[in-house]
Amino acid sequence: MKAVTADNLSKTYESGKRALDDVSLSLNQGEIFGFLGPNGSGKTTTVKLLNGMLTPSGGECSVFGVNPAVSPETVHGMSGVITEHAQMYDNLTGFQNLTFFASLFGIDAGEAAQRARSLLEQIDLAEAGNRKLATYSTGMRQRLSLARAMIHRPRILFLDEPTSGLDPESARQANGMIRDLARQDGTTVFLCTHQLRYAEEICTYYGLVDSGTLLASGDIESLRAGLSSGLTVTLRTDRPPVGVEHGKLPDGRYSVQVASAEEIPRLVRRIVEAGIKLYHVSAQRPTLEEIYFALIEQKSTGGAA
Amino acid sequence: MNKQQLALIKKDVRGITSNKRLFSVLLIIPLFMAVVLPTIFLLTITFTPLESGDLQDLLAILPVDLPNSDLRVALTGALLNKIVPLFFLMIPIMSASVMAASSFVGEKEKRTLETLLYCPLSLKQIYRAKILASFALSMFVSLLSFAAMLIVVEAELWITMRNWFLPAIEWLLIILLVAPALSLIAITLIVRGSAKAQTVEESQQRSVFLILPILMLIVGQFMGVLLLNAWILLGLGAAFAAIAVVLVRTSAGGYTYEKILK
Repeated sequence: MKAVTADNLSKTYESGKRALDDVSLSLNQGEIFGFLGPNGSGKTTTVKLLNGMLTPSGGECSVFGVNPAVSPETVHGMSGVITEHAQMYDNLTGFQNLTFFASLFGIDAGEAAQRARSLLEQIDLAEAGNRKLATYSTGMRQRLSLARAMIHRPRILFLDEPTSGLDPESARQANGMIRDLARQDGTTVFLCTHQLRYAEEICTYYGLVDSGTLLASGDIESLRAGLSSGLTVTLRTDRPPVGVEHGKLPDGRYSVQVASAEEIPRLVRRIVEAGIKLYHVSAQRPTLEEIYFALIEQKSTGGAA
Repeated sequence: MNKQQLALIKKDVRGITSNKRLFSVLLIIPLFMAVVLPTIFLLTITFTPLESGDLQDLLAILPVDLPNSDLRVALTGALLNKIVPLFFLMIPIMSASVMAASSFVGEKEKRTLETLLYCPLSLKQIYRAKILASFALSMFVSLLSFAAMLIVVEAELWITMRNWFLPAIEWLLIILLVAPALSLIAITLIVRGSAKAQTVEESQQRSVFLILPILMLIVGQFMGVLLLNAWILLGLGAAFAAIAVVLVRTSAGGYTYEKILK
């Protein structure tokens, strides 16, 4: 069974804003799915649709075969959700918050306490667990939210910007926790973020979204393969390479675009045979960020044509 | 009511008792209505000369059986059974409003409502649990206030007049019918407004609509326009109860996650 499916999913708000336009997705169990795009591109809307907080204006979706628009409670029982607006109680301690939410999921008191304690330990809040939430920093709150979302051992985690408001170090730490926790229980993760670099560190599958439309989805290899521009080869030579189209970098090196790695030996041979001194060759595969911006560009030129 | 709903009720009640500001509101109003006010009445009756015009005016209004008892005792009984019950009704209205506002709008204000909605309870179950939490607290505060009032009033009566006060049938109707019905009306009014209200204070102001008619009843008593008796109270109580049932039945209907989180 697929963990998440979306078929031509669309959402238009009452205000007339089209937040999501015809998005189709299919996600296997156990993937860490990065749903990536800038703020306002429809990520939160998608999470809310998948949890039945919103009803789709068109198309449909499912979480482990359950339609959230029909039985949201069933989906909630299987999923753990972190969003910016889903906070916890300031007047309770970290531990009390976790055991309260555990009881909402029908976990009995003894097991809830045990689970809360072990999660607090894993997120480095064992000490702070007995303090009221009002004294927590943003980073501690975010980590506690992660524990809260995991308290009932969900089959899928929906994380909407789990690292927003965190400094780079805490963000990296939180990402590590998401990865470890997910791996430990085999949990599927649906991670929404605009921080593409963090996503690249932990995700196994991607969906790139912009103003409500899905630009592409797949693992990093298939995303790269889908791009017309393949690799960027950087060369350090004593003079400009002749016979190949090239750009000049600020540090004096030259860059050449090739479609695939197979072209690199040919390129090198041609340069050496032309009598040019070649000091250094390196090839960069496009990063997620480069892929994203290339796709945006494709979309806008495609739209013009 | 399942275990999850009970957990939610417990959390809501603890949320209000651990909040000093809200808890003091829950304490001060019952203290004033059930203890201070009856005491003021009693002291006034005890220390005002019987010949004074004010007391005679009051006597003219209230149905006091003059021949068979001491005038002061009779007057006390009339005040405690006809006037104080109306003031007492402020207690369930206020405690239900404070609790419901904190339970529904407070969660929205503190951004904890969304987290709650992601739990495997249906919207209706969540609403029912929250309504019940407010209702239970309101009734608990009302009963406790009544008990406190009885203790204080009996002690004061014994000290000043060597007499006892026997609560009339009106009190039974107040406690068992009117107070529960008014509590539920206050709660459902706040729940209805909770989708729109953004702050707890804004939401609590709605209970003013319920307090106004009670104030008019009180004024009516003193002016002698409408005298409270068991039949009027029964009628009023039945009407309030009917309104409460309709409001509770329809309170969770028509709500969707989308509307609530807006």
